Amino acid sequence: MDTSTPAVFVNADVLKMYLGRRVRSVVQVMGSEGGTITGQSTDGHQLTIKGAQSFPLSHFIEVIGIADGNQSIRAEICTDFGENFDTQAYNGLCQLANGKYKNLFL
Amino acid sequence: MARSVTPGAIAALLANPTPDSPLEIPEIVVQVVDLKPIGSSTTRFTFMASDGAMKIKAMLPTHLASEINSGKLQNLGLIRIIDYTCNAIPNQPEKALIVTKCEVVSPSLETEIKSEVKEERSQSDVKKEEYKSEVKKEESSILLMPKQEIVAKSAAQIVNEQRGNAAPAARLAMTKRIHPLVSLNPYQGNWTIKVRVTNKGNLRTYKNARGEGQVFNVELTDEDGTQIQATMFNEAAKKFYPKFELGKVYYISKGSLRIANKQFKTVQNDYEMTLNENAIVEEAEGEVSIPETKFNFVKIDQLGSYVNGRELVDVIGVVQNVSPTLSIRRKSNNETIPKRDITIADDSNKTVTVSLWNDLATNIGQELLDMVDTAPIVAIKSLKVGDFQGVSLSTLTKSTVLINPDLPEAKKLKSWYDSEGKGASMASVGSDIVSSSRTGLRSMYSDRVFLSQITNDPSLGQDKPVFFSISVYISLIKADQTMWYRACTTCNKKVTEAVGGGYWCEGCQKNDDQCSLRYIMVIKVSDPTGEAWLSVFNEQAEKIIGCTADELDRIKTEEGDEKYQLKLKEATWVPHLFRVSVSQTEYMNEKRQRITVRAQAPLDCSAESRYLLEEIAKMSIS
Repeated sequence: MDTSTPAVFVNADVLKMYLGRRVRSVVQVMGSEGGTITGQSTDGHQLTIKGAQSFPLSHFIEVIGIADGNQSIRAEICTDFGENFDTQAYNGLCQLANGKYKNLFL
Repeated sequence: MARSVTPGAIAALLANPTPDSPLEIPEIVVQVVDLKPIGSSTTRFTFMASDGAMKIKAMLPTHLASEINSGKLQNLGLIRIIDYTCNAIPNQPEKALIVTKCEVVSPSLETEIKSEVKEERSQSDVKKEEYKSEVKKEESSILLMPKQEIVAKSAAQIVNEQRGNAAPAARLAMTKRIHPLVSLNPYQGNWTIKVRVTNKGNLRTYKNARGEGQVFNVELTDEDGTQIQATMFNEAAKKFYPKFELGKVYYISKGSLRIANKQFKTVQNDYEMTLNENAIVEEAEGEVSIPETKFNFVKIDQLGSYVNGRELVDVIGVVQNVSPTLSIRRKSNNETIPKRDITIADDSNKTVTVSLWNDLATNIGQELLDMVDTAPIVAIKSLKVGDFQGVSLSTLTKSTVLINPDLPEAKKLKSWYDSEGKGASMASVGSDIVSSSRTGLRSMYSDRVFLSQITNDPSLGQDKPVFFSISVYISLIKADQTMWYRACTTCNKKVTEAVGGGYWCEGCQKNDDQCSLRYIMVIKVSDPTGEAWLSVFNEQAEKIIGCTADELDRIKTEEGDEKYQLKLKEATWVPHLFRVSVSQTEYMNEKRQRITVRAQAPLDCSAESRYLLEEIAKMSIS
């Protein structure tokens, strides 16, 4: 298992802290055209996912990739998490993992 | 020699209370009823003079006592009144007849003479006319299925009385002014009440510091619907126990009143009555103006607030289900009592189970079982509300059950059932309560602790078991433990193998070829703080293992040990939420902590995550 570049749990707010770094986030598919998906992050902002295949509308997907903008991620791996996902719990995780308990994750 | 009484004799006597001379007196023959000595005297006697329609209290002077003592003048015999006076009795509305001279006309006739027109009441009747018109309206709705003939006579009765009232002579006469129960108080002793016995207790013997005694209670209802409890002790109990009959109407006077003991109160009345040997209880003839039973129905969805309280409730509902009779063994004296459970539903769209005990189980229960397909309406009075399965109703000795009663509520229910209720799927009222307080996820978050908090405190549950919720992973289910016991298919109690084959159940007192296997096992669980052993019973074990004990046994015997162990392994390292009780038990002189699973719920990741976030947030603050 390659642990050299761990992906940081991010939502839209935290994303800007890790530009150029490997991140992971769960977004809800709002729209997709070409190879780009428009998703809603767990804290209600819009994120652009580049280089991702198509996923059904309103499904949740986990994106692991490089943060290449304040609001975009260049996707490497995308996984369909289905229709049921607790965004509030994930958002709480993002906040804790980058705040008080950062040392547990990175 | 006259063979019968003179009709209208009493009226005539009262019409002319102080005749000047015996010649004025017409031929008056009355029957001597209730002849008894005054106190312990052998010379003074009192009786009721009856002319078949009316009675008046009468007294015999001492010089006539010899007639009685010699046996000439007998009770139920006839006498001709030759000279008399009617005197007003102080503090009593009625007059008494003092017989100064009489002649015995006939010895005992063996029975009391009664004429066609039943007893009339006096002025109280005038008032009653008003009551009657109201009561009759209620009567038509309250009038219940004829349980006694009194009801059957009613129509003829009322008509007769009405016609009888037309005759002015008949309007006069004796009787007591009836006091409504609501007016009784301990400070006014001169009252007479007219009541129906709506409940009769058993004659019980008791022992207290002062010795042994006998006691029995009756519940009395008057025509306004007011109820009061009357208690009798020792001599009075023995005297009145055979006299009071359930459903009959009596005139009662000379009882005493006192404030009701709230602990033993079963009817809504601030006072309770005690009758001693001096009390007067007289059966009233053919009375129907008192409604048979007064109900105060509680809708099934309102029962929650009565759970485990002392107040008894009345319910009415459509019977959906009747169970077979079960025999329950009473732990205190090993007596077996029959019991039957019925499920009733009402228009609050909820169902509830009512447990019928003893006679109600055998008799009414059987009746209901026979007619359950017709969806009968049943009205039950005086039920205890318990918390078994959330809400449960139980009958007491005083409970009354009426099938398809002639009540407006019954009619309403019937039409509701025919239109909606029949098809509606209704939930048990208990399940709302149970789920919100026991297996509901919400409660899996109340009293949440870690295993270490339980295991580190051996004094938990010393007197009473303490309840907690835990979130754990199953770490081990030992394959070689005794996992189940043989259970009776009816009552789930342990059965023993009978000598001639089959299984014997102590609880049901019967043999059965079949038995079911029910889980009883211990499992080891882990959470971030430690480990513990939990005892698990059938319902939860089934959810943990994923199949019934019978099925697991089948896998073990038919598919082999490996498959059996695999099944257990599959249940391992699965997270669960458990509601557990912790208690202290002694085992070989050692105090041990016993943790028993009471309820199980699957781990809801979303809810659990939120719970954790909350807890983490709390940590941050402190």
